[in-house]
Amino acid sequence: MSRSAGLLATVVAAAWILLYVAMHVIVDPPLHTGVIIALGLAVTTALILGFPSTLRGPRDPLTTTGRGRLLRQRAPGAQSTSVAVFGRDLPLRSGLTPEAAERTVRLLRPVLAGDAVAITDTEWVLAFVGPGSDHHRSGHQPTTAATRAVLAGGRTKVLRAREELGCSDPTCPLRTAVVAPLLVADRVVGTLKVYRIDETPPARQPVQDLASILSLHLELAEADRERQLAADARLNALRAQINPHFLFNVLNTIASKARTDPEDARRLLLRLGDFFRYSIRQDGQFADFAQEYFFVRTYVALEQARYGDSLAVRFDVDPQVLSVQVPVLIIQPLVENAIKHGLSEKVGGGTVSLKARVDPLSRTTLIQVRDDGVGMPEDLLDKVLSGNGPGGGIGLRNINQRLENLFGERYSMHVRSGHAKGTTVDLRLPLR
Amino acid sequence: MTVDLAALIATLAALTMLAMALAVRPRRASSIDFYLAGQRIGVMTNALAICGDYFSAASFLGVAAAVYISGLDGVWYAAGFAAGFVPVLLFVAAPLRRFGQFSLPDFLGRRLVSDRVRLVAVGVVQIIVLSYLIPQAVASGITWSLLVGSGVLGLDAYATGVVVATTTIAGLVAFGGMRGTTWTQALQFVLMMAVLVWLAAVVLGDGFSYTGAVAELSRAPLRNPVLVDGQWQLQPVVSALQSDAPARFDEPGARYSVLGQTMLLITLMLGTAGLPHVMNRYFTSPTGRGARRTTVWVLCAAGVFYMLAVMLGTAARSVIEQVADTTPWLADLTVDGVLRIPEHAMLTLGRLSAGQAGLATIAIAALVAVISTMAGLLLAAAASWGHDTFAGVVNRRATQEQVVLAGRLAVVGTAAVAAVAALQLEPASLSALFPSAVATMVTWAFAVAGSALTPVIILSIWWRRMTAAGAVAGLVVGSATAITMFLMALLRPDWSVATLLLTPTPVAAPCAIVAAIVVSLRTEVPVDLPELWVRLHGTAADRAAERLARLTIRGVEPHQPASGELRVEGTGRRS
Amino acid sequence: MNPTADQPIGRDEFDTPAEVDAVFRTQRRIAVAHFVVFFAGLLSIPAVTLLTGWSSENWVAQSATGFVAIGAGLYLFFFLLGMAAASLATGVEHRMLGTPTDADAAEPEP
Repeated sequence: MSRSAGLLATVVAAAWILLYVAMHVIVDPPLHTGVIIALGLAVTTALILGFPSTLRGPRDPLTTTGRGRLLRQRAPGAQSTSVAVFGRDLPLRSGLTPEAAERTVRLLRPVLAGDAVAITDTEWVLAFVGPGSDHHRSGHQPTTAATRAVLAGGRTKVLRAREELGCSDPTCPLRTAVVAPLLVADRVVGTLKVYRIDETPPARQPVQDLASILSLHLELAEADRERQLAADARLNALRAQINPHFLFNVLNTIASKARTDPEDARRLLLRLGDFFRYSIRQDGQFADFAQEYFFVRTYVALEQARYGDSLAVRFDVDPQVLSVQVPVLIIQPLVENAIKHGLSEKVGGGTVSLKARVDPLSRTTLIQVRDDGVGMPEDLLDKVLSGNGPGGGIGLRNINQRLENLFGERYSMHVRSGHAKGTTVDLRLPLR
Repeated sequence: MTVDLAALIATLAALTMLAMALAVRPRRASSIDFYLAGQRIGVMTNALAICGDYFSAASFLGVAAAVYISGLDGVWYAAGFAAGFVPVLLFVAAPLRRFGQFSLPDFLGRRLVSDRVRLVAVGVVQIIVLSYLIPQAVASGITWSLLVGSGVLGLDAYATGVVVATTTIAGLVAFGGMRGTTWTQALQFVLMMAVLVWLAAVVLGDGFSYTGAVAELSRAPLRNPVLVDGQWQLQPVVSALQSDAPARFDEPGARYSVLGQTMLLITLMLGTAGLPHVMNRYFTSPTGRGARRTTVWVLCAAGVFYMLAVMLGTAARSVIEQVADTTPWLADLTVDGVLRIPEHAMLTLGRLSAGQAGLATIAIAALVAVISTMAGLLLAAAASWGHDTFAGVVNRRATQEQVVLAGRLAVVGTAAVAAVAALQLEPASLSALFPSAVATMVTWAFAVAGSALTPVIILSIWWRRMTAAGAVAGLVVGSATAITMFLMALLRPDWSVATLLLTPTPVAAPCAIVAAIVVSLRTEVPVDLPELWVRLHGTAADRAAERLARLTIRGVEPHQPASGELRVEGTGRRS
Repeated sequence: MNPTADQPIGRDEFDTPAEVDAVFRTQRRIAVAHFVVFFAGLLSIPAVTLLTGWSSENWVAQSATGFVAIGAGLYLFFFLLGMAAASLATGVEHRMLGTPTDADAAEPEP
């Protein structure tokens, strides 16, 4: 039982006990049994339904429906005459970098009815052009205190007085501003700020419109990058699997069995066919865990044919996990790494285990790949994490990046390795 | 019986048989149909056949009798019988079928690669078969005495019933008449079910209100007939839950304390998985998956069956109470409106509802229940002596005739033993000791099955480390404990724990498990365990069978790739 | 009656020991979990009866609740539990053994 299930069970049991005590000891005369049971069931239902949201912690303000409301607040066809349509040439298409921000800001300044324009990301000012650029500088933290509020709240702020700007420099000419957030799929990734040196703040609507256009371009940039990474991953997978080493070893094994155990050789060939057929399928970013598991066990069957008894693999799969969606080609590379670590430099054979669980209460999928090899020292761990580890294959770094693109902050991957204690990779993904 | 009554019965029976024959008749290419898992008829027929084997007189007459005499405690009997199939479904059905042998001792013998296990299992099977056979013989004696009322050749009615039933069935089975094929058993079950439904309809049509009757019967404390100084009297039943309060019909405690009820439940629940005649049917399922679906259907049929039986037991109590004084033939059977022998409940209700025809119908259905179960049991006995013992161990090169002869001798011998034992037990004296004697005696069979066979089978399937020596230890310890416990109860019935000792599984099964585990850990597993394990838990054979069936249905010849050629699967999809 | 003794036909169907071990563990977990639910449900009725004595209170029209629960509801519970366990077990088998391309027909019914 997962921890959260145990916690829930304890809480429910405690609630019933409390109810019983309350009804029989405190209330006099004791209530009808039926009423007690009905009350108890109501409390239990409330606990069970409410529990998952409690476990998730306070709602991330960036994901509140406030965000959605913000997006919908833009009235269609508002006064956006001053907004031009920027095509692919908009610099932000390649992502939110200082250079791109600089170019964007220079492009936008004449368009927006403002004196100074700035773009920040979540931590730094990326570009600032206009009066006040001596102290509002790129590469530094935003001096406008209101920026932080916008980053946190995700709503456009109109600052009408110098005090609201919060700039600490007394010689700052800027008086009013509009700060609009830049969003990528409900996540705030930066702000667009338009300042003026007179008392009338800039028009809010055009700034918001432009911020949404920039956001769109940033989203497209991310999609591009994601697609590239996935393509890379697939290419790598293919490269790794049709890595001559792997193919050579498998075919060698099959050839050596062809005389002594032709049935077995035939089966291995069929498995090899299954293996390739799966690795070149193109059906999107996610797949059923059952299918990924099929890929892993096919791969394991081939490796076990080669290594024989020195490789022991153990699968521990929760039945609920089988229909969960997981990212494609994530698990097999982990198992491949584990087999390499688990067997290299080790006498007497090793064991690799894959464990897959679902925790419905905290809505996570847990995947753990463990081997009992010699373990990795720090530096080797770093090399492997960056994809330069021995034996090739997809680096853990690539996996990490893909997961980050898919899930943002909502996933976690822990790699633990101790000298002579083996390596464990723990993956926690949001449940789909 | 009058002419039109006989005609009525004959018509009823014929119509039911015809209906079911149309529904379950083997189709064209039925062997392929049977292979295709998911083909409803195949699974359904098997399920009905299992029901035919399982629902003996204990279920048909005994459950109603238990409800009649003990109210709510009797309802738990029925629940226990039905519950038995859930562990079968969860733990036994699919793996047993996948491993694919012919009987339980055969399965254990091959799984653990040991003849000793096979022989010990055969011994346990014999005990179970006998314990199950004897109450069937008793039930047939009771039915005969109520239906015909008189004996032949100087025997009294009861004895005549016992002898006639056992010799007939033994003869039929031994001389190859009734092979117990799947769909014959299925038809017999359907007939039983039809009769039950018919009686329920008649009773409800006569104005029986289930809820009303329960409320009515529970108003006054429960009183049952007791033999006091040779005289039958009605005495209030003391509740086993609170010794100062009387028992009521709708409250627990009329027969069992809480501990007793729980022990009974566990005994019945674990027993089903060890019943040889029922479990042998699982080997005829087409695939492991089919075995599971069969069990689900069995659960469905069992639910309906027991629901009706319980209702009829209640109806019997209520109706008989009301009309006992005004019906002369009934007065002979009752004491102040309560039957002396509770097994009469269903039969009497039949007669009250539809006269002699009703009685005859119920009696015939009861006899059918007895026949189908006895046949299954005797076949299981024959298989265990002929196939498992004789051909499997004693004389591996035995010819077919020798095996069949061994089986026949076993059948005759077992039937004789059962008949003799049944003759010794007069139901009237029994019901003083154990209300609802038939159901109680069947519980003994369940007890041995659940204490010895079920734990060993489940451990063999779900624990890799199980060894032959461990299995033998488990079987011996389990059955010995169970038998000892209820011998103690029989010899000292006035002991306070006597009732508990009659349901020994909750004690004996853990003993068997512990013995099996301890001994297994000290001995070696079979050498080819990996292959056995793959056969037990892998579905390769099932998949091959399904694939063959699918291809054949589609009319495609299964493609045999030429050697060295890797066949590319063209499914029309980009691959 | 014993297909394992027959020759496999067409494409070889086979399972590796590691796959079978995995399926075995998962099936064991399913079986035990469902058994626990089944057993707890079965024992809950006498337990509740003992602790609160509600079986004789008249809730369902005029019938005793205990009678209705045990005389009918329990069988429904067994059947539903059985169906759930059977379909889960079959689904697991289908997904953890064999190849996905095998079933271009619809998934087998539970």
